[in-house]
Amino acid sequence: MTSPLLDVEDLSKRFGGFVAVDGVSLSVKPGERLGLIGPNGSGKSTLVNCICGTLHHESGSVRFEGRALDGLPAHQRTRLGIARSFQLPRPFTSMSVMENVRIPLLYTVNARPGPKQSARAIEERCAELIQLVGLAGKARKWPRDLTQVEMRKLELARAMAAEPKLLIADEAMAGLSHSEIDDILALLMRLNERGITIILIEHIMRAVMSFSQRVVVLVSAKKIADAPPERIIQDPEVVRAYLGQ
Amino acid sequence: MRSPVFFVVALVVGAVVFAASRYVENEYFFFAGYVVLQFIVLATAWNILGGYCGYVNFGSAAFFALGAYATVTIHKLYPMPIPVLMLVGGVVSGIVGFATGYLTLRLRGAFFAIATLALAVVLQTLIINWDFVGGARGAYVIRPNSFPLLGSYIQYLFGMMLLLTVISVAGARAIERSRLGYGFATIRDDELAAEASGVPTLRLKLIATTISGALMGMAGAPFPYYIGYVEPGTAFGLAYAVNSIAMPMIGGTTSWIGPVIGAILLGTVQQVATVTISSAVNLLIVGILLVDFVIIAPNGIVGLVRDRRIGSTTVEPTVFVLLYVLNLLPTIFLAKQGQAAQSIGLVFWAILFFVTYARGRMIGRVWLMVFPWIGAGLSLVPVTSETPVVSTVVLWSQGVAWLAIDPPTAVLIVSLVIQVIGMIYGAALERRTPAMTTP
Ligand SMILES: Nc1ncnc2c1ncn2[C@@H]1O[C@H](COP(=O)(O)OP(=O)(O)OP(=O)(O)O)[C@@H](O)[C@H]1O
Ligand SMILES: [Mg+2]
Repeated sequence: MTSPLLDVEDLSKRFGGFVAVDGVSLSVKPGERLGLIGPNGSGKSTLVNCICGTLHHESGSVRFEGRALDGLPAHQRTRLGIARSFQLPRPFTSMSVMENVRIPLLYTVNARPGPKQSARAIEERCAELIQLVGLAGKARKWPRDLTQVEMRKLELARAMAAEPKLLIADEAMAGLSHSEIDDILALLMRLNERGITIILIEHIMRAVMSFSQRVVVLVSAKKIADAPPERIIQDPEVVRAYLGQ
Repeated sequence: MRSPVFFVVALVVGAVVFAASRYVENEYFFFAGYVVLQFIVLATAWNILGGYCGYVNFGSAAFFALGAYATVTIHKLYPMPIPVLMLVGGVVSGIVGFATGYLTLRLRGAFFAIATLALAVVLQTLIINWDFVGGARGAYVIRPNSFPLLGSYIQYLFGMMLLLTVISVAGARAIERSRLGYGFATIRDDELAAEASGVPTLRLKLIATTISGALMGMAGAPFPYYIGYVEPGTAFGLAYAVNSIAMPMIGGTTSWIGPVIGAILLGTVQQVATVTISSAVNLLIVGILLVDFVIIAPNGIVGLVRDRRIGSTTVEPTVFVLLYVLNLLPTIFLAKQGQAAQSIGLVFWAILFFVTYARGRMIGRVWLMVFPWIGAGLSLVPVTSETPVVSTVVLWSQGVAWLAIDPPTAVLIVSLVIQVIGMIYGAALERRTPAMTTP
């Protein structure tokens, strides 16, 4: 058995008296495609925030490639290889789309040991990423000129720019059309074929079920299921708590 | 233009300015010029933290004063040349900047601003109680009369400040276009997203507070030699804190040129005001201009030019009235100061013109802009000391009464009436006064 890429153990996070994530354990193998689903407010994004260091959890631990991440600031986790998109897009508003995508290249890719990319190479890579997510022609636009859907694509491009080992897409497809969803899924699939591990958080069942090799279900801060998609859709507890809605 | 090239160009421009200034006969030019340059440095320094990173520092005066007091200390121990003093002042303020950053940068927004204000108060208290540098009494620092080759010492100080200006402006511009500058901008835009993109936000903020503090300290280092007598009240003066915020805001905070424009504009206006009126009026002028710009041009002059939106500013009727009244007050006040102050008054007439033009376009009455024209014309005629009081009272009462009907137009008409009443009243008084003073 290969050692896990990401290993979350008994993680809990509370906001004041409210428990948003309650003793969740989760392990992701290198190269895996994991789906993370659950009703609104079940704690999916909060879990992601704890994994990425955006939030600090009270108890439990997060290990990445065997290394304990606890106490590590978010930017170091990004540099180690965990990239995420934000559910509510958080673009850098004073920068063009192109510049938004350039930031992870400057601060993550070029901050890693090894040869640095030239300004030229960075420029080309930005253009390529923007093209990949389907924002070609918008490179010089400002985030305020983008639609909500385009901002989601920008989130994804920016996360991909960090050249992560693990990519966490938090509802990157909400609001997209059928064919756009297929485009993004194909894109994620290509990334996965190149060895990038992917956690997909999504309410669109068609997308999650077709994409994921394994699905984890959170309900009211707790993990209630962890199984391949075909088993998940038959799990009575999942159907009752989430799918049945 | 690449940063090293720009630096050379800036250096050449600085050298030309300095060479040209040698032909200026009037020593006062150097005293005034020094202050304007010092404000360019302060505004640029403030902007590195405030404009680039979005962290508002209310404690600029503290960093400036630290530089000044480092000089006072050294002067008492063993006098050293100005460039050395600047370096020492820079190091001291840089260290304090770093420490402040370390202690406060986990605070966001208003909390950070308040913390910097507290820092200024704490440091001022320390200095007041430190007898070696004169405590509350202050300390005399005797400026040499002349400097070899240059002649007068003030020209030397002017030259050094010019050099520091070139260095800080070129430095700020280089930062803006570098990886560091991009990192700063991500902090201003969204710190969580910045961290998620791999930007070490805390470290970058510490770099910003250190550079910003160091430049302010360097600007303050020659100050004791310039002023000759340093006391905590002057070195920690409100003017430094207010100006280093107002100048970048008025010029525009997102690029290096903004603070330069703001500092030259406000610095010059204030120098003129100091000569023609009093230094107390300076802050009033700065305050009103700041309010104007925050409302009319939140992105500063640079933003106005870049967006080409002059005249399309949308202003709420009530805000318009407030702006109008606010800018009318100094014109009345300045009129009282006589002809010399009129040049500053014209700045406000220009703003009034801009505001009415914008408002007029909005409501389809572009003719509204004739009012500030008439007002400006009338204001060029001298009036007596009682006029402003009468004008203000009438203005406020009428303005409030008319607000309910059609606010903007009402205020404009009232203000015109006031101007005319003021003129007539002033003329009448003028005719009466000589008769009363003659026994
Ligand atoms: N910063 C916060 N402070 C307080 N409560 C929070 C905070 N962030 C999230 N919560 C609460 O924690 C719970 C879990 O939120 P979370 O965003 O993780 O849910 P989610 O599973 O991602 O939901 P959705 O599917 O709507 O995105 C919610 O009830 C939310 O209100
Ligand atoms: Mg969520």
